[in-house]
Amino acid sequence: MKIIKKTLFYLILVAAALSFIYPFIWMMMASLAPEQEIGKLVIFPSEFTFDNYVSMFSKIPIGRALFNSLFVSTINTGLTLVFASMVGYALSRMRFRGRNTIFFIIIFTMSLPFQITLIPNYITMVKLHWVDTYLSLTVPFMITAFAILMFRQAFKGLPQALIDAARIDGCGELRIVFTILWPNIKPTIITVGILAFMASWNEVIWPLIVIREEQLMTLPQLVTLFVVGGRAESQLGVKLASAVFLATPVIIAYLFFQKHFIQSMASTGLKE
Amino acid sequence: MANVKLVNIIKSYDGKTDVVKNVSFEIRDKEFVVLVGPSGCGKSTILRMIAGLEDITSGDLYIDNKRVNDLLPKDRDIAMVFQNYALYPHMTVYQNMAFGLKIKRIPRKEIDRRVRRAADILEISYLLDRKPKAMSGGQRQRVAIGRAIVRDPKVFLFDEPLSNLDAKLRVQMRVEMQKLHKKLQVTIIYVTHDQTEAMTLGNRIVVLKDGKIMQIGAPMELYNTPDNMFVAGFIGSPPINFIHGEIRKKEALVFTDTGMEINLGLLHNEAINNYVNKKIVLGIRPENIHHIPHDKSSRFAKISITISAVEQMGNEMLVYANLDKLQMIARLPSDSTLEADQLTELYFDTPKILLFDPENGNVIK
Repeated sequence: MKIIKKTLFYLILVAAALSFIYPFIWMMMASLAPEQEIGKLVIFPSEFTFDNYVSMFSKIPIGRALFNSLFVSTINTGLTLVFASMVGYALSRMRFRGRNTIFFIIIFTMSLPFQITLIPNYITMVKLHWVDTYLSLTVPFMITAFAILMFRQAFKGLPQALIDAARIDGCGELRIVFTILWPNIKPTIITVGILAFMASWNEVIWPLIVIREEQLMTLPQLVTLFVVGGRAESQLGVKLASAVFLATPVIIAYLFFQKHFIQSMASTGLKE
Repeated sequence: MANVKLVNIIKSYDGKTDVVKNVSFEIRDKEFVVLVGPSGCGKSTILRMIAGLEDITSGDLYIDNKRVNDLLPKDRDIAMVFQNYALYPHMTVYQNMAFGLKIKRIPRKEIDRRVRRAADILEISYLLDRKPKAMSGGQRQRVAIGRAIVRDPKVFLFDEPLSNLDAKLRVQMRVEMQKLHKKLQVTIIYVTHDQTEAMTLGNRIVVLKDGKIMQIGAPMELYNTPDNMFVAGFIGSPPINFIHGEIRKKEALVFTDTGMEINLGLLHNEAINNYVNKKIVLGIRPENIHHIPHDKSSRFAKISITISAVEQMGNEMLVYANLDKLQMIARLPSDSTLEADQLTELYFDTPKILLFDPENGNVIK
């Protein structure tokens, strides 16, 4: 009975895992398949070809878009880590009037759908003359409520004496955050880093609104325009190649950091 | 080294309730002063104010005769050892000890010299490359002390440094703390809730309750001549016995419930004349109660009592007896032949009796 239960359990798990991984594997394999075989939905094509990738590179400035995405996502990730940890530290460790109110307002912003702030933010960008500049892709994403929440919780989990000891040793607040506390919340930094990077990397709507110049377009933006905008000339293989190209960096990053990622996600609910 | 002076120090977190109430005292150069009291008495808050980790609501704080209220912790020339060690988990012992000096931009050679000297003093040289998680509690505590020593501060602050250690190690570290004080000849302010630590370590003890100083004095001064019931009850283990009664006629005290009478003539306490026909509390330490009086003199006041329990400790015997609904403890020689439920006679060493005013708890003298 126990064995049957266990077998059933594993079968369900494997089925669930396959249902998640299959579309991705198919996408990768199909991007390497000749155009006429893609419609058959087979995993292994009769021959492998890089034609779709070659064609993609020739049709759109995907190299430049890759650079833009990497540049923008790296800057956003870096700035989010720095600013969110500063705010998270203040909210968890400094005593000032209105601290909790500020925290609740920040948390409240998490419940606002992106669409609500889209237009006001766009107007701000226009007024600042930031449309069609890197600033419009980075400044609005320098900090997120979620990152603040994560850092606040992580800092709350550390003993106050650690901060006191650093203060007596002569550390200022910034040195306390980055030299003393950061090395002790690595899982949080990695999680926030990955999430910030993925969020920035996968963002499509915002770049579509604020960037029109092809040289400044991010990878998802360019790929979206390419796939739905008609420039792929209905070639499914090229579309799939661009999708694989888009997904790969984030997946590599995730595989690399997944241990810390899961550890931190699992502990966010416990540290208070 | 330096003296530390607190003048009318008040601390309030919410602007309404004071957690430290107008505290003034001075710690002399090279003195080992222990702040002791139950939890919530404000002792750690006082220490943290001296360290600069808490703002002082009002009053003045002087270190080495310089007002330091507005100085940052790093500029006060102090070092602090915390209850949970507060070592930086990601740094080795060497890095932990060197960190503060590095921030002060002290030359690397000098840092190395100081770290190795401190490690030598504390016998932790073999730990220098280890990280805190690979060490025992006792070792971590030594490193925390080492981190304080390398700073070569004017004042050392210790915040319950031995509380996280097991009983045996605590006794050992207590002795080492004494040796360290002798060796380093420094001013130390030490916070603890453990009266044994306070008695064994301090040159002087400051007893606190509810943010107020109850008494300051040398350990034996507090033990033998406490100012009030709180100090008398806090210092000493097992604690002093308090028995409620009334002075019915001059120099004789009658216990409230049993009506038993003892003669207080040998106390030579003139002040009790003001308490005739008034309520009073008698305090007597467990070791001043005897089973067999040393001599037949009237110095010993006899009481008849029933033993409720006996604890044989090997070196001594703790005898519990009930008197006026109160449990009384006597510390007797281990060869005493007393058993539970036995009706016996015990003798109070009259000159050692303390009397307190039950209204304000102050000693009557």
